Parts: sequence; C-alpha cells; structure tokens
Amino acid sequence: MGDEGPGSTVHLLCLAASSGVPLFCRSSSGGAPSRPQLPFSVIGSLNGVHMFGQNLDVQLNSARTEDTTVVWKSFHDSITLIVLSNEEGTSELRLERMLHMVFAAMVLIVGLEELTNIRNVERLKKELRASYCLIDSFLGHSELSGDLTQCVDCVIPPEGALMQETLSGFAEATGTAFVSLLVSGRVVAATEGWWRLGMPEAVLIPWLVGSLPPQAARDYPVYLPHGSPTVPHRLLTLTLLRGLELCLLCGPRPPLSQLDPQLLDRWWQPLLEPLRACLPLGPRALPDGFPLHSDILGLLLLHLELRRCLFTVEPSKDKEPSPEQRRRLLRNFYTLVASTHFPPEPGPAEKEDAVHPAQTPRACYLVLGPGTGWQLVALQLGLRLLLLMLSPQSPTHGLRSLATHTLQALTPLL
Amino acid sequence: MMADPAWRDPSGRPAELPGDLSSQEEEEEEADAEASDLSSCSSASSDTDLEPEWLDSVQRNGELFYLELSEDEEESLLPETQTVNHVNHVRFSEKEVIIEEDDPRERKKYEPKLKRFTKILKSKRLLPKRNHKKNSNDSGPVSILKHRSNQKTGLTVQQRYKDVMVYINPKKLTVIKAREPLKLLEVLVGIIHQTKWSWRRSGKQADGERLVVHGLLPGGSAMKSGQVLVGDVLVAVNDVEVTSENIERVLSCIPGPMQVKLTFENAYAVKKETAQPKKKKTQACTNDLVKLLCGLEADGVQQSALDVPHITMYLTLQIHSEAAREEEILYHYPVSEASQKLKSVRGIFLTLCDMLESVTGTQVTSSSLHLNGKQIHVAYLKESDKLLLIGLPAEEVPLPQLRNMIEDAAQTLKFMYGSLDSAFCQVENAPRLDHFFSLFFKRALQPDKFYVSASPSAQQYDAASAVLLDNLPGVRWLALPQELKVELDTALSDLEAADFAELSEDYYDMRRLYTILGSSLFYKGYLVCSHLPKDDVVEIAAYCRQYCLLPLAAKQRIGQLIIWREVFPRYHLQPPTGSDTEVFQEPEGRYFLLIVGLRHYMLCVLLEAGGCASKAIGTPGPDCIYVDQVKATLHQLEGIDSRIEEQLATPLGPCLSCADWFLAVPREKADGLTTSPILSRLQGPSKTATSPTCRRTFFSDYSFKARKPSPSRSSGGCEPGERGEGVGLSPHTTPDAVRKQRESDGSDDNVALLKLTRKKSTLPNPFHLGNLKKELSENDLEVYNMVKLTSGPENTLFHYVALETMQGIFITPTHEEVAQLGGSIHSQLIKNFHQCCLSIRAIFQQTLKEEKKKALSGGGDSESANSLSSLTPVKEHGVLFECSPENWTDQKKAPPVMCYWVVGRLFLHPKPQELYVCFHDSVSEIAIEMAFKLFFGLTL
Repeated sequence: MGDEGPGSTVHLLCLAASSGVPLFCRSSSGGAPSRPQLPFSVIGSLNGVHMFGQNLDVQLNSARTEDTTVVWKSFHDSITLIVLSNEEGTSELRLERMLHMVFAAMVLIVGLEELTNIRNVERLKKELRASYCLIDSFLGHSELSGDLTQCVDCVIPPEGALMQETLSGFAEATGTAFVSLLVSGRVVAATEGWWRLGMPEAVLIPWLVGSLPPQAARDYPVYLPHGSPTVPHRLLTLTLLRGLELCLLCGPRPPLSQLDPQLLDRWWQPLLEPLRACLPLGPRALPDGFPLHSDILGLLLLHLELRRCLFTVEPSKDKEPSPEQRRRLLRNFYTLVASTHFPPEPGPAEKEDAVHPAQTPRACYLVLGPGTGWQLVALQLGLRLLLLMLSPQSPTHGLRSLATHTLQALTPLL
Repeated sequence: MMADPAWRDPSGRPAELPGDLSSQEEEEEEADAEASDLSSCSSASSDTDLEPEWLDSVQRNGELFYLELSEDEEESLLPETQTVNHVNHVRFSEKEVIIEEDDPRERKKYEPKLKRFTKILKSKRLLPKRNHKKNSNDSGPVSILKHRSNQKTGLTVQQRYKDVMVYINPKKLTVIKAREPLKLLEVLVGIIHQTKWSWRRSGKQADGERLVVHGLLPGGSAMKSGQVLVGDVLVAVNDVEVTSENIERVLSCIPGPMQVKLTFENAYAVKKETAQPKKKKTQACTNDLVKLLCGLEADGVQQSALDVPHITMYLTLQIHSEAAREEEILYHYPVSEASQKLKSVRGIFLTLCDMLESVTGTQVTSSSLHLNGKQIHVAYLKESDKLLLIGLPAEEVPLPQLRNMIEDAAQTLKFMYGSLDSAFCQVENAPRLDHFFSLFFKRALQPDKFYVSASPSAQQYDAASAVLLDNLPGVRWLALPQELKVELDTALSDLEAADFAELSEDYYDMRRLYTILGSSLFYKGYLVCSHLPKDDVVEIAAYCRQYCLLPLAAKQRIGQLIIWREVFPRYHLQPPTGSDTEVFQEPEGRYFLLIVGLRHYMLCVLLEAGGCASKAIGTPGPDCIYVDQVKATLHQLEGIDSRIEEQLATPLGPCLSCADWFLAVPREKADGLTTSPILSRLQGPSKTATSPTCRRTFFSDYSFKARKPSPSRSSGGCEPGERGEGVGLSPHTTPDAVRKQRESDGSDDNVALLKLTRKKSTLPNPFHLGNLKKELSENDLEVYNMVKLTSGPENTLFHYVALETMQGIFITPTHEEVAQLGGSIHSQLIKNFHQCCLSIRAIFQQTLKEEKKKALSGGGDSESANSLSSLTPVKEHGVLFECSPENWTDQKKAPPVMCYWVVGRLFLHPKPQELYVCFHDSVSEIAIEMAFKLFFGLTL
C-alpha cells in the first residue's frame, strides 16, 4: 500500500459515550482530508464492542489486523474517540497520542464543560466544527512532530538573544506573561511564562495558529486543556511578516485595539532583518551555515525535560528521498524507538541521580533493506534524544560516533 | 553430585543377598492398570517375558506416551517409605510412570495383535535381547551395603577428601586372564565402578566420568582397607588425577606389587555439603515437571497460574440462533474465575473478527484490553469460519511473542491432528487438549519453574532465552566434528535403511508396515543429527517443545520414553502441485511419529504407512520391532555421549566472554580466589597466567575504555565460592587434564590444541586471548581465527543466536558454555539480550511478511517505490545498552559502566537467515562479517 495511494486512510470517530451518537467523523486519505467513508453500521459496531466491554469492566484498548490498527479511548466517560488507520508503520503509540491531541483540541475549542456534560448534542456538533481544521491536521501528514513527540517544535533563530530580549520587553509593555513568536507553527522565541504552559496546550497553540487561515490579527477564545479547561482565555495573534506571527495569551486585558501598528513598529522595526532571516527557518529549524555532516538527511532532536524539539529534513535537500518521505521515516523511527527501546515517557521525574536500572538502552540504529539502504540512528545522552537519518554511504559502524558528534554540536542550541 | 539413593534412605534399604543377582538380570516391571498413580509401585515379575512394558499404556487410538525415569529421578518421585518394598534388589529398580487415559477394557481390541506379533518373533528368537536390563551379573556380587552401613554409624564428621593406602598386586592379572581387559580397577583394587549404562543413568552427565564406587569386591584390597565406602569418588591414584577414561591406563602403569595411595572424595561429606540442599530444590521442580508431562497437576503450580487471567478459546463464527447456549464455544481452557471474564467478553472477539475483516479486508491478528488493571493481549487465528484465540497478560508475554506462540501452537496442533477443526471438534480430544494447553500456559506464565536444568545458571539461561528461542522456526543445533557426525549419520542411516531381518519383506512374506522416512537425533535437547526434511524436523521439534520433552531430556536421564502417534506433517501432506509425472508425488499415506528417549538421547523417527509399505488400517499402536530397532540404535550410540558432552562443553562455535570481566570492579574477594588450591593448580601448568603487570592494572582503578590491556581479570559478581566449587567438582575439565588426555590419546594435534585454547578462554581464569596466539603455531592461527567472532585484540563477544531457515536450525551457546562463564551481570545481560532480540525480530518478521507479499504480487516496482516511507524492509537493527553492577553501595564513586550492543541482522537471500549478536562496545563490529564467520560451514 503506497503512502500516497488511496489505500492509506485514517478514520477518526468521535461519539458521545452515553448515547452513542456520532459527534463527528473525520477521514484522511493519503495525508489529505477526505470525505468520511465508514458506513454507520461500522461506526456503530466499533463503538458497540467498546461499550459492551465497558459494561463488563473490560476495557478494550486496541485491535490490529494485518495492516490496520484500531485504537479506542474514552475521555471523562463522556466522549469516545476511535481511530482506525492503515497507514504504513502506524503504531498504537502514535494513534494513542493522536487521540490525546484530538481530545485536547476539542477542549481547546469548546471547553471541557461542554464535553463532559453534554446537554444538547446538536449544538455541540456545531461548536465542534471549529476544531475540524485543527483535528484534520493531526490526521494528515504534518511538517511538525509535536503531535507525536509531545514536544514543542522550535527553530533556532540567527540572533536569538536579541529577539528574546525584545520579546520580553514587548511582553512587559503589553502586560502579558505569555508571548511567543511563531514561524509556520514553530516557536522562534517565547517568554518564560509561555514556556511554563502545560503540555497539550504548549504544542496545541502553535499548531492551531499554524493551521488557521492567514490573517493580520486575531482575537480567538481558547480553553487550555491542562491549565484552564473550563475558563476560556484570549489568544491574540499579530502577523509581523507573512508567516511570522506574534502570539499573546491573555485574560480580558489588553484589548486587541491596544496592540496598534505603532506599538509593533516601535518594538519590532529594529529587528526587521533578523525577522526576515527567520522566515525560511520554518522547515530548516537550524540557522544557515550550521555545520552538519553531509551524510545527514534528517534530524530530530528532543529535549525530554524542556519538552522542546528540533525537527528538520532539509539537509542535503537535493538527494533522495523526498522531504516528505524523510519526515515520515523519521517519525516512524521515533515511534519505534519510543515504543520498544527507550522508555516511552521519560518525563522530568526520572533524573540522573535516580536508581540506575541494570540495563539501560543508550542508542540504537536501523539499516533499511536492499534498494534504499538509508540508516537511522537514535542516541540518548542525558535528557537529550537525537534521531538522525543518514544516507546509505555512511558506514554503519560509525553511526554512533557521528550521532554523538552531532549531538554535542547541537547541545548549546537546545 | 552423584547421589546414591541408598545414602539418602539408609533405613529403607537393608542388606542385599549376593545370590539374588542372577534373578535380576531380566527383570521386567509391569505396571498394573492402576499404575497411573505415580506412587504406586508395581510388583516385579522376574520372568523373562518379552512383552514390552509399555504395551499396556497404548491408548485406544493407538497413541502412546510412556515415560519411565532413570533410577535416581524415580527415587525422588516416590515417598521414601515406598522403597522398602524392594528388599531383594541390588540396583534400585525402575518404577514406571504410566499415563493412563483410557479405559483398559477398551484396549483389549487391538492388544492381541501386538502380542501375537511379539510372540511370533519370540519363538523365532528374533527379538533383540533386552540386554540393557542386565548390568551387574558380570561384575560379581556387590552386596556390601551392610558393610557400609556399619561403617556409617561410627562416622560423625568426615573430611571431604581422604587418602587410603591399598596394596596392589598386578600379578593377579595373570591369574584372571579370562576377564575382559578393561577391568583393572575391579581386579586390582577391588572397586566396582559401573560404566555400563544402568549406573551411568543414575549419575548426572556432567560427572559421568567420575569414578564413583558402586561396589566393593569381596576380598579385594579396597574392602580389606575398610575405609572405602560405596558412593565415594575415586579422584586420584598416587596423586594422579583419574577419571573413568584414564583409570585403566593409570593402573596398567603399576609395575609390580606395591602400596598405592588412593584419594577419595567422601561421598557423605560431599552430599552433606553441597548436594543435599540443592538436590531438594531441584527435585521439587523435577517432580513438577514430570507430573506436568504426565498430565497430573502439581497443585501449587496450577493454583498460582489460575490467578493470572489467561484463556484459549476455539469459537465458531456460524451461530445458529435456535441452538443451545454457548454453542459458539467449541473449546475453551482453563475454567477459572480469572478466565471467566475473558470468556464472557467473547462477543468482542467475534465482532472484531467479523467486522474488521469486512472493513479492512485483512484478518484481525490481535487486540489488547484492560482487565482488573492488567493489560491482556489476545491473539487471533482465523481459519475458514473458526477462530482460535489465546489471551495472556502483556506483562508476562509481549505481543510479538504471543503472535509467535499462537502460530506455533496452531502448527503443532495441525501436526498432531491434521487440522484445527479435527483437533477441537472431537469430544474425545478435549482432555488431551486440556493437557496441551495447561503445558502451554505454564510455559508462558512460569518459565522459570519449567526449565529445570542441571544447574541454576542453566535454568536461568533457559528461562531467559525461552522468550526468543521457543518460537524460532528452527531447532537448536549442536555442531559436531566431522568424525562424530559420520558416526551418528551411519547409525541413523542404518536404522533408516530398515533392512534388519525382522523387516525383510521376503522373510515373512508380508509387506512391511512402515517405511522410515527419516530420523532426527536429539541430545539433551540439542539436535545433533537429522535425516529429515527441514519442515518435518521443525514440526517435530515444535511438538517436543510443546510437550517439554526437550528440557526433560536435558535435565533428567530418561529411563525410557516412548511416544507414538499419528501425525500430519505439512511437508508430506501438501496437495500435489501439478499433474507433472516427472515430479515426485507424495504417496497418499499416513504418517506416524515414533519418539524413543533413552537417557539424554531422543530419537524421533517419522514413519510412513501406505506408499511402499502396507496401508495402515484403523489406529495402529506402536510396533515392537520398530521401537526395539530405534532403541537398539540408541544403545549403539551409548559410547558417543561422552564425546557429545565434550562438544557441549566446548562447542565448535565462537568463544564467548563474560560481561563481568569487563566491569573491572576491584574486589578483595579475588584474593580468596587465587588462594584456592584448585585454582592455583590450574594456573600452574598454564604459561598464560596473568602477568603481574596485568594484575596490577586490574587492582588499580582500571578503566575498560583504555582498550589495550584485556579486562580479562575475572571479577565482578561471580562468587568465588561458586566458581571454586564448579572447578573442584569436575576436575576432569581442567585444561591440564584435557591436555593430558589429548596427548596420551595422540589424536590430531590441531584439534587438541584448539580445544585446549577454547577451554582456557572459557574458564573463569583470566586468559588474554591475544596471549594465546603466542602459544599457537602458525598453522593453528587459521583455526583460531575462526573461533573468535569479534575483531580487535580481545574477545568481546558475549552471546549470539544464529537462525538458518534453510535447514531449520539455529545455533546459540550451549548451557555448559554459559554456565562456565557465570557472572551475575552476564546472566542479566543474557536476559536482556533475548528480550531485545524479540523486539528486533518482530521488526524482521514485518519485513519478511512484506517480502512475501511482494513476491506474491509479482514484485511490482511501483509498490517498492511507494513503501519508501515505512520502516520496511529492515536489514539490520542494533541497540546499545549500558549496564552497571546491581546494588552498588559505594556512594562516593559512580558505579562502573559497561556498554554493549545487541545487533540483529536479517539476510533475505537465498533463504532468510537471522543473526543476533551481543558484544562489547569497545570495538566497532561489522555485523555482516560476523554473520559470515558464524554461518560459514553451518551445515547439517
């Protein structure tokens, strides 16, 4: 089954757990949203087996056929999400995390109250329409990795310190603690407060901003799934340059009108050149001229405590395979590594000084079969996990040292 | 550890009369019909009836599972008081364990047929004499038990070793010319050591070569001395180490009448010190294993298994609405509360199976659910409109293993019954399936209780490796040197030719009953020789594994094991591919599997009825002729087992290192090690003992990252006591003994030297492999290189598993090798290695599946281009692990860390091969080179 072919489909079903009424049903085929194809009887039985089990205190989590994986998940006993995917290399870990993101996205848009206490199904359905755009981006092939890694996608700007300083000054001037600068869904710089945001929303808000149609300025009510699931906040976005947006998360104040062009100009005009330099950074993540080994085709660097990541498939762009394939290979490799070898949730609780497990995995590599020969290597050092995709000519026994060197070079950045 | 049962039960075994012996020689014991009770002792019928003792256990459908343990195993099974019955037996009679599943009355139908045949043969004196039963008649009376017990009462504290001076007169020899030549020990010293197999059965194989005193010759010098007791072990003669192999040579060197110093290991002391506590424990396990095999539940085991939810069900997807309740369940096991829940949600499984197949077009393979806070994986196997389900907790059985297990179980059931339907849908099969699945679940849930091996380390190794090895599509193979292989091949070929007189068609003017398609010989669970097609041997091995016969043969010396059943080998029963007359067509025959086990040997023979042989009618039981011929073949192989044993201890495969050697932890205990007399003796003759500088590097804060000096100094978690004991108990494995033996044998120098070096490298003694090069001549270097798998100056290989699917075999270090390495970290490493390999293999299996799919669809290019974004096909996968000693108490210093790789490599062409290696991180290895070295010359 080809990844671009019609065979690769993901179906996401959302049902009200108590009544079994479908709230929405999203599908994507070959990475692009498509019309739902599942007949209602199938939706009904998928929900039925799960409900039947629940009545007998048996929680059905997942099922696999030779090419398809189905994952069930119910949230707060009121919403059941079911995902059915036959994408290649799909795994339960990926689908489970997807469901968590989808539910968080629903909370972000309509709030937890609406979802746990469904009074009017029809109204809820209508409200949830606003979240389709965001949800569809999880089903498709995104350029970001946050949905899978649960880390915030970042880029490394050329003049980071200056930008950081300006951002802090701007935040102070507007009286909000939560300010960030985003380029196509990735964080260029953010205030301390912004980085303290809890897990789902820290990934979701940049993701939301990236998925919305471009606009000069927005004032968007959001619930924070972790921080404030019932009380909405305001998300203000201001486009500085095309693709480069300033985000503020705030309460009733300041009103959008207060953030007039003069204010922006005062703060950001001096940084015009560095900001322009940020624009192409989106997919590249690393500044121009950063020394990377020529064999490296793709890179995913995670900081497990700060929960930030760098993800790029731009190096040696002219070589095979295409960026899309590289991205998917790296994502699949991350899934494999996280689900089999490295503990899936290292979390901040597991510190260096914790008890030493007798046998700890440190690195792993994968050489793909005949015809391709691409190599993937993962290396964990301290709190950083680096995944590289390398061209076939790189010697297999040198993979680890190459990864170690690259990680050392990247350490000051993240 | 030679445990003379009489010592453990002195009261129950009074003195024997010398005159009784003659009546024992053809002793036959028959179990009565009620003998299914383990502890029931049958009466000895001392007549020379030739009717085989297993004849009564043949079931109505012709199947036979007959297991009779060797003496010491039996002893452990019986309550001590029972042994009183056997007053007039010199050797400890064999009791039988008989599995009685059928009503004896119903057996009558076919019994006459078998008996009749036996009688014909008997009258023609054609049945081979069951010569193994006589064993002690030629060695004179051995009834000195009284003598011994008198002695014993006076003993309170005994030294472990004792020296006894005896007077020896070699001139006696000329007087007794008529005797066989190799009886010097008996004739000169008056010590009876039974090398004949009856006694050897009772000793453990590892010390099979030890000269245990089984009896004293009346009037012999040993008896006169009054200090030699039955059960003592003769260790040295005039300080020359002796074993059963060299004793005759040593004694023949005595020029004239003289006083000779005999050194004995004290039986009583040994047992007190080492044997008894250990013995107790393993016996308990042994009992369980045997009881399980026989279908009798060991209550404790069963009880604890019940608490864990697990289930197997065979459901039908065709439900008739008017039928009775639970009609869709054709079979389920077990009936327990924890499993009840899983049974009650079968609707989920049925719905998923039906619905997902219609939605996705592919069959459902597994699902996961949470039950009482436990995650349970359920594996599905759908065949036509029936569904086989196996559910096990994720904690115990990871999903890839479960997938393999269900396929394995289904394959074995098909091998046994032809199809899943015929296995599950026949009511009379239910108890057999219950037994099958009770073994299945116990293996899955309590692996450590199951793999009862000779030593705790081997047991640990078994339990750790089961997760991977149990489901490999191959058989554990032991590579043997050419000459040994030829010997085995010849023996099996002779059997397979089936031209023994009884089977000659002309002789009786009747068609022979079966054609022997081939046979496979297992030794201690290792395949040593096979003349069967790959598919057959894999299926037979899977059958043996499911019924735990392989661990049984490894641990216990089987007195006699006979299994007979009809089987349905896939290879022979696949439908003819075309009407091409040129191609060989399998005859439409029936196939029977005959397994005969004797001590550590197990010979599996596949028989075909129909074709050239006469057609099988009804459900024939085992035929005496074939059983006896197979048995005779095994008897013929008796002499070889010591050589196979030697191969087990030092197989032809690559050398291994112990992980603990690389964790250079300074330990005071090491001093205690060097003071051990045995060890110093060991180090004495070997020139390669560690140089002082090397020792210094070890005791100083030695970092293994400095690659130059070998971290060969053994240290780490391996307890010195344990090691000393290991060496001390088997003196014949010391290098100088091997060398001595080799030199006197004058055998091929190359081989001897090779073995010598291998021996050294696997000893816990620190030997830098690099140093060994100096010892070897130029010519030997080539051989030496073959043996070392890793590159770099030191041997960094810890473990390996190599699977070769073309021949259906895999090789891996033997239990003996792993036991020699010891080490607490090493055993953890092995456990981790196998678990990691399981997940690596899961990825490889995915690749293999994709390849198969591609081959089926004609290998279109478009598809391979499309699948570029998925992680298949994978050809190599490696994981680096870091480990440090457990229970590190030193707060100031960080524990030492060692890194090692677990690398798996998959070769798709010409036939899939899989290699898994585990090696130290210090040298970068190229897996493909290692694979080449390992697979080179790997032929059955």
